Amino acid sequence: MCVCVCVCVFDDRAWYPLGRIIGGTIYPGLMVTSAAIYHILNWLHISIDVRNVCVFLAPLFSSFTTIVTYHLAKELKSPGAGLVAAVMIAIVPGYISRSVAGSYDNEGIAIFCMLLTYYMWIKAVKTGTLFWSTMAALAYFYMVSSWGGYVFLINIIPLHVLTLMITGRFSHRVYVAYSSLYVIGTILSMQISFVGFQPVSTSEHMGAFGVFGLCQIHAFVDYVRSHLNKNQFDTLFRAVISTIAAAGVLTLAVLAALGKIAPWTGRFYSLLDPSYAKNNIPIIASVSEHQPTAWSSFYFDLQMLTFMFPVGLYFCFSNLTDENIFIILYGVLSIYFAGVMGVMVRLMLVLAPVMCILSGIAVSSLLSTYMKQIDDVKVEKKKQRFEGNYFMRSEIATLFVCVMSVFLVMYTLHCTWVTSEAYSSPSIVLSARGHDGSRIIFDDFREAYYWLRHNTPEDAKVMSWWDYGYQITAMANRTILVDNNTWNNTHISRVGQAMASSEDKAYQIMRELDVDYVLVIFGGLTGYSSDDINKFLWMVRIGGSTDKGTHIKEHDYYTPAGEFRVDKEGSPTLLNCLIFGQVYTEGGKPPGYDRVRNVEIGNKDFELDVLEEAYTTEHWIVRIYKVKDLPNRGA
Amino acid sequence: MPSPMVVFAFILLSYFLVTGGIIYDVIVEPPSVGSTTDEHGHSRPVAFMAYRVNGQYIMEGLASSFMFALGGIGFIVLDQTHSPSTPRLNRILLIIIGFACIIIAAIACYAFMKIKLPGYLMS
Repeated sequence: MCVCVCVCVFDDRAWYPLGRIIGGTIYPGLMVTSAAIYHILNWLHISIDVRNVCVFLAPLFSSFTTIVTYHLAKELKSPGAGLVAAVMIAIVPGYISRSVAGSYDNEGIAIFCMLLTYYMWIKAVKTGTLFWSTMAALAYFYMVSSWGGYVFLINIIPLHVLTLMITGRFSHRVYVAYSSLYVIGTILSMQISFVGFQPVSTSEHMGAFGVFGLCQIHAFVDYVRSHLNKNQFDTLFRAVISTIAAAGVLTLAVLAALGKIAPWTGRFYSLLDPSYAKNNIPIIASVSEHQPTAWSSFYFDLQMLTFMFPVGLYFCFSNLTDENIFIILYGVLSIYFAGVMGVMVRLMLVLAPVMCILSGIAVSSLLSTYMKQIDDVKVEKKKQRFEGNYFMRSEIATLFVCVMSVFLVMYTLHCTWVTSEAYSSPSIVLSARGHDGSRIIFDDFREAYYWLRHNTPEDAKVMSWWDYGYQITAMANRTILVDNNTWNNTHISRVGQAMASSEDKAYQIMRELDVDYVLVIFGGLTGYSSDDINKFLWMVRIGGSTDKGTHIKEHDYYTPAGEFRVDKEGSPTLLNCLIFGQVYTEGGKPPGYDRVRNVEIGNKDFELDVLEEAYTTEHWIVRIYKVKDLPNRGA
Repeated sequence: MPSPMVVFAFILLSYFLVTGGIIYDVIVEPPSVGSTTDEHGHSRPVAFMAYRVNGQYIMEGLASSFMFALGGIGFIVLDQTHSPSTPRLNRILLIIIGFACIIIAAIACYAFMKIKLPGYLMS
């Protein structure tokens, strides 16, 4: 299979001087899918450039998601529920934000794969056949190849099986479905180089393994029970259970003590203990996608679905079946995880489909009950004694249907407004309105990258904060130190130390890493607030989090009062560090005012000794500096 | 084994807490209400953190998630009004409560969002 070829690819132009093994550090699903579509279309002589395939891949897969959602909700409740759920997921902002044309990221196909796996799993549980279980395993393999969020699946499916066991609904169908899915799915998932042996060695996968063992035991116990009489069975049962429980606990303790089972990795541990990342791993806490969610994010991304979600849960609870239990578990877990970590979409994305499905169930159930009451039915004599209890039955029903229609129309208006305002702008070209209402375009990023591409040597190495790594690699075509993959925290910490130290220390670090150019982002002239000074505290935190950075302490950069200020009251360490000098050298064209922090700059006479300014873009957003060589003679 | 409706009530309570941004409150520790100073130097309370979709004060979060839960309860109440054996008065009251909950919740959430984002639903 073409997956194994990827292992041989080594990228030496990113993460200088470490390089990066591409095959072993990404999920190949997205790229393999795009390549497959490109080749199939070209074989049919529909000649489409691969770039266009990539741009339109996410909308294509979101259409597939709509279809799968219909089938999934149809399995759970009825075709009517399926239709409503599909309509809702087609426009829900929580999903659209990550599937606009041009957003080429794993989530674009991962949500489709996830829902496909759920659909196959529900079919497997309902029918108990090997065919559907194997299809579920194949869908799971596709999911593993496309996104790291597959860990959610391999925990929620065993949790579903466990809940069925606890509520006494374990049956032969569930046994066949889960056993086949676990075995085939795990073996397939280990074919992806990035996953490797994790499914048998890390704590995130141990739950699935435990439930697999429990399934076998449960099925065996049922088999023995059918062959013995009651007394014999009870004695045997009690004796065996106590031995096994003791042995199991002992084994787990020994394995954990010996370190054979790796503990939960930081990214997933912070889902269970939200304050863990904030206190221990600054790089996870700094990603804006990992911030906890406020109420307005829920309403902004979901609107009416926030009302209908509990109603959908209510309908599932009043009509418990094996598959309804699954959707209840999925809903409750994703609400919690979206609350912990979901502002800029990450886990709000996993919540959006289940919200749509449950809301579809709710809306469809309510409407089907009320629609029947709209016509005045002529009742037989037997039912007439209850007729007096009804009050304006058909009028109330019509009123309800109208109210529900208004809700749905408001939902549509909200979704289209949110999509056009918040999720439709490109992120590399910024725009703003001037005083007279005309639109000003800030194309500084591309300007800077093209300057780098045309005016620097081919092997020049560029140091910048990791946010811009992929863009520099793609558009400027230069070697970089750190990029968005963020796989090496120590290396990023080194860059953070360079940015936060004084010029001399920073020069040592830059010579050690062979840096030729430094790129920083400055928003003070235009009022662009996501610049490097606003991100600076994260550089300090991450820089100070490794051994070589112990001289960097966050509280040195605050004023005595504990505030982060860049004006005269700012702390001396801050006013003299490298990035301050880079960002503000001549950056205060008189009167030296920073429009983002709304203060006058504290150190206007900063003279950089080790760097010289190479290029500043039109609106002063991107500033590039060349690292000066060592002097020829000693000073 | 607890009955399904008991479990559902528990889930509704946790939904109220999570959508109220309780985890945001624990990590970011915002104040309960914000404050601004007006022209005369008096400090006046500010209920909603404006212009930021991903920020909130504690009280505004709880108030909004109460509205979410109220809307959900309104629909659930309306589903309970179909049994033939409930007396006429009870049915009328349940219907009125149901519609009131739904409409109040929807209008309140729209108003809250309008306060937070003054340009909401205006192109």
